[in-house]
Amino acid sequence: MLDVATSLTIAAVLAGTPLLLGALGEILTEKSGNLNLGVEGMMFMGAITGLIGSYSYEQAMLAAGMTPTGLMSALIALLVSFIAGAFGALIYAFLTVSLRANQNVTGLVLTIFGTGFGNFFGEYFGLKAGGYVAVSAVTKAAFAPVHIPVLSDLPVVGQLLFSYNWMVYFALALAVIMAWFLMRTRVGLNLRAVGEDPAAADAAGISVTRYRYLATVIGGGICGIGGMYMSMVTTSGVWVHGCVSGYGWLAVALVIFATWSPLRGILMAVIFGGLMIMRMYVSIPGLPVQIYDMIPYAATILVLIITSVRQNKEHAMPAGTGYNYFREER
Amino acid sequence: MRKRVLVVLLSVVMMMAMLLTGCGSSTPAPSGGAAAPAAGDAGITKDNIKVGFVHISDPSDMGYTYNHDVGTKEMQEALGLSDSQIINKFNVPEGAECDTALRELVDAGCNIIFATSFGFEDYVKEVAAEYPDVQFCHATGYQAASSGLPNMHNYFASIYEARYLAGIAAGLKTETNKLGYVAAFPFAEVISGYTAFYLGAKSVNPDVTMQIMYTNSWNDPTVESQVAKALIEKGCDVISQHSDSTAPATTAEENGVWQVGYNNDMISAAPKASLISARINWGIYVTEAVQSILDGKEIPVDWCKGLADDAVFLSPLNTAIAAPGTQEAIDEAAEAIKSGELKVFAGPLTGEGVDFDGKTVTVDIAAGDYYPEQEQASAPSWNYVIPGCTVLE
Repeated sequence: MLDVATSLTIAAVLAGTPLLLGALGEILTEKSGNLNLGVEGMMFMGAITGLIGSYSYEQAMLAAGMTPTGLMSALIALLVSFIAGAFGALIYAFLTVSLRANQNVTGLVLTIFGTGFGNFFGEYFGLKAGGYVAVSAVTKAAFAPVHIPVLSDLPVVGQLLFSYNWMVYFALALAVIMAWFLMRTRVGLNLRAVGEDPAAADAAGISVTRYRYLATVIGGGICGIGGMYMSMVTTSGVWVHGCVSGYGWLAVALVIFATWSPLRGILMAVIFGGLMIMRMYVSIPGLPVQIYDMIPYAATILVLIITSVRQNKEHAMPAGTGYNYFREER
Repeated sequence: MRKRVLVVLLSVVMMMAMLLTGCGSSTPAPSGGAAAPAAGDAGITKDNIKVGFVHISDPSDMGYTYNHDVGTKEMQEALGLSDSQIINKFNVPEGAECDTALRELVDAGCNIIFATSFGFEDYVKEVAAEYPDVQFCHATGYQAASSGLPNMHNYFASIYEARYLAGIAAGLKTETNKLGYVAAFPFAEVISGYTAFYLGAKSVNPDVTMQIMYTNSWNDPTVESQVAKALIEKGCDVISQHSDSTAPATTAEENGVWQVGYNNDMISAAPKASLISARINWGIYVTEAVQSILDGKEIPVDWCKGLADDAVFLSPLNTAIAAPGTQEAIDEAAEAIKSGELKVFAGPLTGEGVDFDGKTVTVDIAAGDYYPEQEQASAPSWNYVIPGCTVLE
């Protein structure tokens, strides 16, 4: 029984991590007043570029007669996937903030673009490699579960807390930093003001354009890192066609589930991940798998209903999100 | 008045066109209408034949579509067709888009069209009825014979034979005597495959049991990886799969267990885990079918060949990690299957399953008897879970 609970929790954390990263990126974006539905696209861009970054680094090192290191490989994947996601978000920010295009449509277009981008370059590098684009054992080890002496060996606790890959801890740290940034710093306060009421923020001398650009681009980069988790951890550094498909949308659902709070996001990601994989560990006799698979979405709808009934502004989408700000229209 | 002249003129042109194609003109009429597809008689030569394919994914999936496309390339090389004579429709969902794709291929002048996914069958049936001059071949389906259409055909390969052999590698390798199977859908195609895999493992390791978990998708690496992990947690130390991606292989590698693949050699993706893969050689059928058109011969309504004709095969064994004696055991069983001496679904064998209407069905094969899997029709029909296999849901 304890064994099942432990494995379930571990699997839930692993399933929730890419969603948490995607959701964190989207929370930052939405806090600035941009509703970027292109999470899926940016995750695809991060997934392929992160993998190609690591792969190319390994190939280049081997060609130069040197041995690639896992640390460098992981850093390159992190950096490149951030840049790719940020690039996708930059397109979005330019279209919506500068050109004032419709946010929903632009986000959807970014999803389509990113999906094509990921699969196109995946296929291109696959053809070049003459088979699978797969990283070597060194990089695979860098993304494998960590082993901390003493701590990881503790019974139960060691497994539950100290047996994940580094990206899990990275996502946790990022959530805490983001929560601190949003609630405890002046810049974070300004950002929230821009998202709630851009006109008021503008009147207070905050540059709406700059805040929206920066938050969207950094948020997109974080989504890209979430995508990199899919290609480097979920599929262990082997490119799989359409590997993100659908999980970007789950990240958007998680933003609602977490009610736009990075800290609640941590807990909700684990619950969300847990609901996704529960059927593999706990069977409910007579419940068809298809119904079981619906639970996370049913839960999201439930959260939406509860939050809209409670009308609590703390737990709602920032009021200005979804609308472009145009100073002359005040 | 002018309108009437135009109508007369057009009918004359149409009659001329029909006469010309009827006489076996070597230049098919340009596309744009029902008269476009060339007639099915001697007019089709290597230079003007066109072959169409409808795929659910594209070759970058490195799985099912990749493997089928390898068959297309083999056919192209064997018959010496140019690239422009082969028209691929990739990433076609199993919905109305399939209907459109098939009609586009007919309009493009294809003489023979292959539809490669299970869910395409209803659309193939519909379009085939409208274009009797075009040959339609559908992989993994079962409706060609019952449709009564002379131009609709089903094809598949006895992949269960290769899975049986792959199961031998798993049965010899397992230390916990627990196998895990990442399965896509509870269809006969999948159930037949994992039962054969299990029987292969059991033939060399009588104590082995197997747990099966469904992903409800042909290709969802995240769920495949999660299901593989859950099976490993339950003590399975060899994971096999009926799903497209390499995620089960890499998950097995990360957890220090082994894996048996499908559709493609997965050793380069997971060198420390992937033992062997069962594969279909589609090239044999595709070449045969296209050749039949050139020769003016009939294409069989149901086509299914197996190990004896090389229509299914195994990717090279990963000798670095396989148990000693694996290759010999596989070769021996392969010879016995080829000679017909060994039947995969041989009695005594009992099983229980659920048919399309949700009714429980059972099977009981007596000793000395065997189940004629894929012998009467090309589509797999073994739909029963046998003792030793547990479906987790």
